[in-house]
Amino acid sequence: MKEVKKRTFPLHYAPGKELFQIVVKLSDEPGSYSSILELLSSKVNLIGTTTYSLSDGTAMFSGFAESIVKGQGPKDLEKLIDASKAAMEVVVASGKDGLLVDTFHTGIVVDDEDYMLFRRDGLTHMFDHVAKTLGSGGEALLYQEGYTLSQRNAEDMFNLLGSERVKAQVGVLRRLLSAQGWGVLSSKTSEKDGSFSVEVRDCFECSEGAKSRTGCNFMRGYLTGAVEKVYGFTAVSTEVKCVLKGAPACVFSITQKKL
Amino acid sequence: MRFRTLMYVLSFQLAFFVLSFHASRAWIWLPFSPAVLFLETATGFETMASELTGEGIKASAPALIVGKSGVKHEFAFALLPDSGKVKIVVDTELSVKEVDEMKVLKFYVKVFDTGPEKAVLCVSPKLSERASALAKEYQLVILENEVPKKLIPMASELVRGMVEKK
Repeated sequence: MKEVKKRTFPLHYAPGKELFQIVVKLSDEPGSYSSILELLSSKVNLIGTTTYSLSDGTAMFSGFAESIVKGQGPKDLEKLIDASKAAMEVVVASGKDGLLVDTFHTGIVVDDEDYMLFRRDGLTHMFDHVAKTLGSGGEALLYQEGYTLSQRNAEDMFNLLGSERVKAQVGVLRRLLSAQGWGVLSSKTSEKDGSFSVEVRDCFECSEGAKSRTGCNFMRGYLTGAVEKVYGFTAVSTEVKCVLKGAPACVFSITQKKL
Repeated sequence: MRFRTLMYVLSFQLAFFVLSFHASRAWIWLPFSPAVLFLETATGFETMASELTGEGIKASAPALIVGKSGVKHEFAFALLPDSGKVKIVVDTELSVKEVDEMKVLKFYVKVFDTGPEKAVLCVSPKLSERASALAKEYQLVILENEVPKKLIPMASELVRGMVEKK
């Protein structure tokens, strides 16, 4: 099956449609989730759903849906779900003028860490502005920011998994960046000198184009910092190929600095 | 180098405008246009660098220096080492009004990445009060003069003083 980008639903816009956000706290019994889905199947068309467990043993179901029953309101759906044994609590909110915003969640948690969504386009424009204001120094600053962030992330990963396991699982951890939308990473290690060649397809830093930047310095800094932290040597890096210069993917070369 | 080409183009555009529209009074401003002033100082630094090179001192104008980050930075002039730390970098900020703190910050981030022994910013006409305070905090050497051309001998004197000290 072909890899795709995950869909999340903080917002949905469908002009002319009657939209609902359905949030249900599910009881800790087998079949709770499927019974809610079954209840809803004749009332709404689910656009996107998520389920997750809470620390108290219960689970949450949250979904964005389009109504398939004319004149149906949020209270009707609430009543329907509330009557089910599977539901402990239920909240249904409706959209307005075809616009539905998640009014229930207050952020994103990934493995007990607080996360936030940020538009790629917004981030790359921010990077562009730094480079426009500070010139080549701004690009150096972006490199430093990437480097510092990766050192911190690697430190957290060491604390979680231990350094040996991190080293052993580098390939899997690389996928973590891909899953978070940074780009699809693959790397090769040269047998000659132990240098790394990291290819990033759909690199977030240049995927939206750039007016003031010459390359992906944040990403280069991030990869350099990660290699240094994991393998314990001082590294030098260059961006050999970049989408900004017409290449199909960005390629970074990271080698051990000769002292 | 691309920036310099742009400056040449701008100078020629101004001259073209003057000739095309018979805006005779505009000739008065031609020598003071930022593009022309930039070219004057750039040529001045080139001369300074070639003089020093002739004396066996490694200098370059303009100078492309790769910083710790791997990013290439361009300076108007630099005194380069045979090995190790860059000795001195010089840049210019020419304006028709006071030069603000963003220009100082822009220079400082390049300096921070390249880590020279001394960093000199030649400013015309002068830094604003806030920019001055920032430059002092960042330990940048500031040379100010209302006449951009005069900044070259000022910078030259400073560079030579540093070379002789060593």
